[in-house]
Order: sequence, then structure tokens, then C-alpha cells
Amino acid sequence: MTQCLTGKKVLMKGNYAIANAAVLAGCECYFGYPITPQSEIGEFMSGKMQELGRAYVSAESELAAINMTIGACSTGAKAMTSSSSCAVSLMQEGLSYATSDQLPVVLVSVMRGGPGLGNIYPSQGDYFQATKGGGNGDYHLIVLAPSTVQECADLTYKAFYLAHKYKNPTVLLADGMLGQMMEPVEFKKYPYPEIDNSKWALDGAKGRTNRVIRSYAPLASNQCVYLEELYKKYKLIEENEVEWEEIGTEDADVVLVSFGSSARNAKIAAKLLREKGVKAGILRPITLYPFPAKRLSELALKVKKFITVEVNMGQMVNDVRLAVNGKVPVELIHKPVGIPPAPVEIVKQVEELI
Amino acid sequence: MTTQVFKIPDSFKKDVRYTFCPGCDHGVAVRLVAEVLDELGLTQNTICAASIGCSVTIYDFLNIDTIESPHGRAMAVATGVKRAKPDKFVFTYQGDGDFASIGLAESMHAALRGEKISAICINNTTYGMTGGQLGPTTILGQVTTTSPTGRNLEYYGYPIKIAEHIALCDGTAFSARVSLDTVANIKKAKQAIKKAFEVQMKGLGLGFVEILSSCPTNWKMSPDKAHQRVREEMMPVFNLGIYKDVTQS
Repeated sequence: MTQCLTGKKVLMKGNYAIANAAVLAGCECYFGYPITPQSEIGEFMSGKMQELGRAYVSAESELAAINMTIGACSTGAKAMTSSSSCAVSLMQEGLSYATSDQLPVVLVSVMRGGPGLGNIYPSQGDYFQATKGGGNGDYHLIVLAPSTVQECADLTYKAFYLAHKYKNPTVLLADGMLGQMMEPVEFKKYPYPEIDNSKWALDGAKGRTNRVIRSYAPLASNQCVYLEELYKKYKLIEENEVEWEEIGTEDADVVLVSFGSSARNAKIAAKLLREKGVKAGILRPITLYPFPAKRLSELALKVKKFITVEVNMGQMVNDVRLAVNGKVPVELIHKPVGIPPAPVEIVKQVEELI
Repeated sequence: MTTQVFKIPDSFKKDVRYTFCPGCDHGVAVRLVAEVLDELGLTQNTICAASIGCSVTIYDFLNIDTIESPHGRAMAVATGVKRAKPDKFVFTYQGDGDFASIGLAESMHAALRGEKISAICINNTTYGMTGGQLGPTTILGQVTTTSPTGRNLEYYGYPIKIAEHIALCDGTAFSARVSLDTVANIKKAKQAIKKAFEVQMKGLGLGFVEILSSCPTNWKMSPDKAHQRVREEMMPVFNLGIYKDVTQS
């Protein structure tokens, strides 16, 4: 797999599409450690980055990989790492530091079954891990959830852009199904403006005062000021970067809320329900943080019921309930792990719930 | 006519409140690093990866771009910096707990990959900032807050000889252990730091210096007695010397 094309439709696995898009986004450094179901990303990058004379390291662990990414990002470089579930757990410390250091780390997280070693089947069990964080302290990661291989490519571009625009670690949250499945994908030219990092990046203090990127704040008062400032940034992100897709919600009685691979089947289910006379719509969050809470809250004024469709024990359902704030019931259709529930199965369960 | 015989290195910040404990060798070590940065003309082309522990405060004293690394990860952070910007001079400044306990994997693998970076490791046989607990270099018999009757093999095993281990890695270009207990040894320490920096500049691989240092506060000794301990108790276990120097072979 050595393609790196733009402007031509090709059949490609999600993992390769992510890696290819990262290269086209101008990723200068890749650091990674193998884990199924995302290993193709590192395999692709090992060859491509060397061919292009860019940085590639087979890291000794995910701890090392995230910290190498932190180091590279401290110089303003576009840098990324990729991993999956139990190994993303190892990166939580680094992600917490990277948010505090305000570094544009890009992490591709291709979810598999958990907790613990779990298995290599697709899962959405790391919604909490990505959106609530497993690291210490108050912080948010920007989280983008692709639903197709095309989106795997497009949102990889966006991940680099948002990470650098807001100086905040950004996660592309895919899963084993998206990583392993093949679909047609067309690579556009990187559509975002390049961000000027020269005001903060480390480059050797030539002709200027030295810069220190640090999270250690020995005085409590300093940390208070710092966190207030950090959360002003998150407010800005919440105001400007929420993205979602909405189909058939204008007259809907029931709205399915689903992201990533499970949204594919939920979308079909909503259509089948319409054919059966049920006024169903779907809202698919594309950004999981910031979450489309405001839109859900608006819809709650006219919708009779929300039902989330997830491949976990029910995680995003909590955020939908918070957004809806008791106005209408919020139910859950879920499968603990594996490929998402089939459309007919979703239809059956929706009919039982309404 | 007067001749200036002593000055603050340009790489050193002026008018900074000094926060290391009285008698601690960190101060001498940081000064030596500053002098070598000056002499090699690196001050404005350097990125330092600081670590966690007493060593973290290096960025309060030096006029160089610095990123603070999570505990044990300075060598990984430095790897990322150097791979992203190969034309910059990159070094870490760590304690023995950071470098050789929690960060041993990162340290060894950076050496095995032959990363073109330099690493300074302060070995004071204890975790200083947290109040003097047993660390990877605590010597047998040494009493610490977590080895109240002294380090014994049954509960704690052996201390690690860092400079020897790093020298075993094929990607290491220079590895030495030095001490700061006498003026003569301070001069040798500076030479070793310079060598560890020069091998990076020549692209030969990792440059490493382990510095035996006193910790009067946690050892509960006067600075003078602490240096005596470095000589009498540490040096027989941690022999001074150059363990690898590819420029000499």
C-alpha cells in the first residue's frame, strides 16, 4: 500500500485512508506501537514517511509513542500517533500533559473490545475514554468520529487542523470495523489553512527570550488562573466547532442518536421505520467533544423520544440525557461489542420502545 | 588592569532565586551544563527536555527553550523533538529515578536506537523531591524513608549501574560516570558533559553522563559529610570512569 493520491477515487481500508490522509495533511512525524485493529496505520507510515524523508519511530511502547509525539509537537511540527483501546489507556498520562502544555497532538484511536485486553472486534467502548478522559485533571480532548472510510480521510485532515488551531490534543475516534473495512474514498487536497506556530513553538530561543512549555504550577493561585484560561478556550471550541449530521428530524417523533460505525445502520433503520410509518429521524454527532448538546436540547422540545444506538453498554446515552435534561425519555439500543446491530434489529427494538 | 576570572554563563538566567537545597550538587551540575552550552555556542540552538523531580527546575535557571516531560519520559520527548528538528541540539536533564526506574525503557531504547541526543542523569541514590525514598540506585544497606532498616536484597534487590548499562547499548556514542565532590572531579565532569554534547553534534549517537551527586537534605548530613559519603560509600559501588567513547576506538 504505497498510494498517496489526490483527486482519484480508490478502494481502500479505513486504516490506510487515515494514514494516507495524514501524509497528505502534511504530517511530519509519526510515532507508534503495533496493536490490532490499527496496525496498518503504522505499517503504511513506516514506508511512506521514510520515502518522503519525514520522521518515523517504531516506539518501544505507547507511553513512549505519545511522549515522542508531545516532543515533536512542542516544536510546532505536525505529529501524530495511533493506537487502540487498551493501549490508548497507556497514553492517558501523556494526553493530560499535552492538554496542559497546549500541544497539537493528533491521536488516532481505533476502538476494539474492552475492558482490559478484551478482543479485536469493533467496539465503541472508548467513548468515555475519549470524551471524558482517563488522564488526571480538568481537560478536554477534541474528538472526531468518522462513520465512513471517506470520513476517515476527511476528518484526519480536520484533526490536524483543529489540533493546531486550538493547540489541543485531538482524537480521531474510529473503530475496528471502520479501520478494517474497504470503501471507495477520494482524497482531496488538504483543505485547511496552515496555522502559524512560530509564536509559541520551541526552536532554540534565537534572538528572543527562551520559552518553557510546562504544566508544573507550584502555586495554587497560578493553576487557578491557568485553568480559567484553558476553559475559555474550551468555551470557544464548544461555540464554534460542533458538527453533526441530521436526517428526517424536522417532523420526527423519535430521533435515533448514533455515531461512527453504528450510525451507518441506525441511518438505514430510520429510513426503514419511515417506510413503516414511524416518524423517525437520526442525529449523528460528528464531533463527540464538543457534543451537539444544544441541538439535542432544541429537538427535545418537539421530539417524543430519543434512542441512542451504540456498541457498548451505553455511554453516549448519558450525554444525550444530560442534553435533553429530562424533557423527554432517552432510551438505549446497544450491543456490548462487535459489528453494530443490524438495521432490522434496530427497527425491531425501536418498535418495542415507542 | 583587571582580568575577569569568574562570570555567570550566558546560558544562565540572571537574577533568579535559587531553589535547590544548600549544598546540593544539582547547582554545580546545572552550572556545568550552562558553561558547556556557552563554550559550544549552543545556547540559542538548544531544546531541553526537562524531567520530574528536583531536576525539573532546570528551566528556572537556564536561558534555553525547554519542554517539561512527564515522569520518566524525557528521553521519549527528546526523541520526538530531535526527530522533528534534527538541526537542533537536544538534551535531557534527569534524576536517577526518572532516568533509570520509571523511565528505564525510554532511556535504554533511545540508546539502542542511537538517538542523536545527550542525557545528563543525576544519581543521588534517593528520590529527593518526595522526601528521600528508596530509588533504583539506593545502595545496599542505605537507610531511606522506604528502607527503614537499610536496603536489603530480600525486599529490594540490587541498585542499577546506569552508565555501564547505557554503554552496553550499540547506539551509545559516549557514556561516563563522574562526580562533583572535588574541584578536580568537577573539572572532569565538565569534560565529560562536553564530550556527551559533542558526540551529538557530530551525529555519532547518544551521549550520556551519570553524575554522582550529594543530597545533604535527605541524607541528613552536612554538605561536607555528604561529599565524603559520595567518596566512601557511592564510588566503591558506582566506579567513576568513561565506559564508552566511540571517538577513542
